[in-house]
Amino acid sequence: MNAILSASGLKFKNLIEYPPIEIPAGKATFITGESGSGKSTLLRLFNATASPSAGAILFQGRDLSGMNTVALRREVLLASQNVFLFDGTIRENFEQFYDYRDEKCPGEAEISGYLSLCCADFPPDARCETLSGGEKQRVFLAIHLSLSPKVLMLDEPTSALDEGTANRLFTQLKGHCAEKGITWIVVCHDQKLVEAYADDIIRLTRRAGA
Amino acid sequence: MNGVVEMQIWQFSLVYLLLLVVLAVMKKCRINQTKLLVVASVRMTLQLVLAGLVLTYIFKNPHPVFTLLYLAAMTGFAIYRVLSKNKGINRRFQWVIALSIALSGIAIIVFFIRIVVGESLFNPQYVIPIAGMLMGNTMTGVTLGVKTFRESLNGQRPRIEALLNVGATPEKVLLPFVRQALETALLPTLNSMVGMGIVSLPGMMTGQILSGTLPTTAILYQIAIMIAICAAVCLSSFGALYFGYRTLYNERNQILLAGAGEGRT
Repeated sequence: MNAILSASGLKFKNLIEYPPIEIPAGKATFITGESGSGKSTLLRLFNATASPSAGAILFQGRDLSGMNTVALRREVLLASQNVFLFDGTIRENFEQFYDYRDEKCPGEAEISGYLSLCCADFPPDARCETLSGGEKQRVFLAIHLSLSPKVLMLDEPTSALDEGTANRLFTQLKGHCAEKGITWIVVCHDQKLVEAYADDIIRLTRRAGA
Repeated sequence: MNGVVEMQIWQFSLVYLLLLVVLAVMKKCRINQTKLLVVASVRMTLQLVLAGLVLTYIFKNPHPVFTLLYLAAMTGFAIYRVLSKNKGINRRFQWVIALSIALSGIAIIVFFIRIVVGESLFNPQYVIPIAGMLMGNTMTGVTLGVKTFRESLNGQRPRIEALLNVGATPEKVLLPFVRQALETALLPTLNSMVGMGIVSLPGMMTGQILSGTLPTTAILYQIAIMIAICAAVCLSSFGALYFGYRTLYNERNQILLAGAGEGRT
C-alpha cells in the first residue's frame, strides 16, 4: 500500500495509545470509535497542532517532527469540528482565510463552484451570520476544499446535516477528491455513511486505564 | 494667590460623613458591598497617612537611596497588582509584563524629570509624585490590556483553531488580538485627555492651584504629565502585549492558550 501518512507507537499524553496507522494516498479513510478514543486528537497529531508524547508520524515518508509545521498544515488540512466563520459575506470569508495564508483569493465563479460542490448553493455575497449551523458547516468546508490540500481531514463534517444532504455531500466530495487525487480522512459516527463511502476504516478503541 | 488653607483635624473628619451617605444609598439599594466600602476607606486612609509620614521624612532627609527605594516600591507594587489581576499566565509572559512596566516607566520618568522639568533625578519632591501618577496609570492600562487580550483569546478559541489549521502563522493569528488589547489599554487615557479642562480639572492641577500655584503654570505641568502618562501607558502596554504574545506559541507553531490564563479570570 502507498501510504501518504503513517504512524507507529503513537501515544498522546499517556492517555491515548494508537495502533499502527497507515493512510493510503488518494483514498477515503474513515475513523470511527467511541468518544474519548482519540479520533479528533489523531487529526491534530497529523497536522502537528498537537504533539505526540511517544511515537513517530511520517508524511510522504518524512518524519513530522523535523518539518515546517505551517507548510505541513497547508498540505494536511484540517477542517475541525468547531466551525468558525468571520462576520461578513461568504466571499469576505474566503478572502480572510486566503489573506491569513498570504494567498490570492479565488474568483467569483470558482467560489460558487466550491460552494455548490459542498451543497452550499448560496450566492457569495450572502451574509454568514444569517446561515444555520449546517449551512455554516458546508461553507466552512467549501473554503477548506478550495485551498487544494494534498490531504483533507474532516472532523464530523455531517454532524449538523440530514441524511440526504450528508449523502449528496459525500458523493460529490468523493468524486472531487478522486479527480484531484486528494486523500481524505473523515472522523464520522454515522455507520451507514462509513460503509457507503470509506475505502479504508480505522476503528479506535479506548484502552483500559485511558 | 493664597497658599492652601490648613485643615483642622476635626474639620477634616467631617468629610467622612459623606461616606455615611454612600452607606445609606448602598443599604437602600441592597448593594452588598458595605464591607468593601469600609475596607477601602480604612485602607485608603491608612495608606495615605503612611505615605504622608514617609514623604515628610524623605523630604526632610532627601537622600537618593530613599527616592530610589520609594520608586522601586511603587514599581514593584504596580507589577504585583497587574500580575495578581491576571493570574495563570505563563512565567515568561509575567517577566515580559514586569520588565515592560519597569523599563517604560523609568524611561519616561527620566525623560520627564531630567529633560522636560530639568530637575535632579533624586529630588523626591518631583520624582515621587510624578512617578506615582505615571505608575498608577500604567498599572491600570496594562491590567486592562492584558485582561482584554486573555479574555478575547479564551473567547475566540474556534477562530484561533481554524486559522492555525489552515496554515496561518501564530503571529498572524495572534496579532489582531494584540492590536485590539492595546487599543483597549489606551482608550481610558485618551478619553480622559478629551474631557480634560472641561469635564474635569485633574487632580495634580487642582492640587497645585489649591497650594497657590498660578493656573497657567499648573496647566503646563498638567499637559506635560498627561502626555507623559499617555506615552507610559502606550509603551508599557505595547511592550507587555507585543513581546508577551510571543510566549504563547512554541517552535512547532502550536498556540498554548493555557499560558494565557486559561479558564481563569
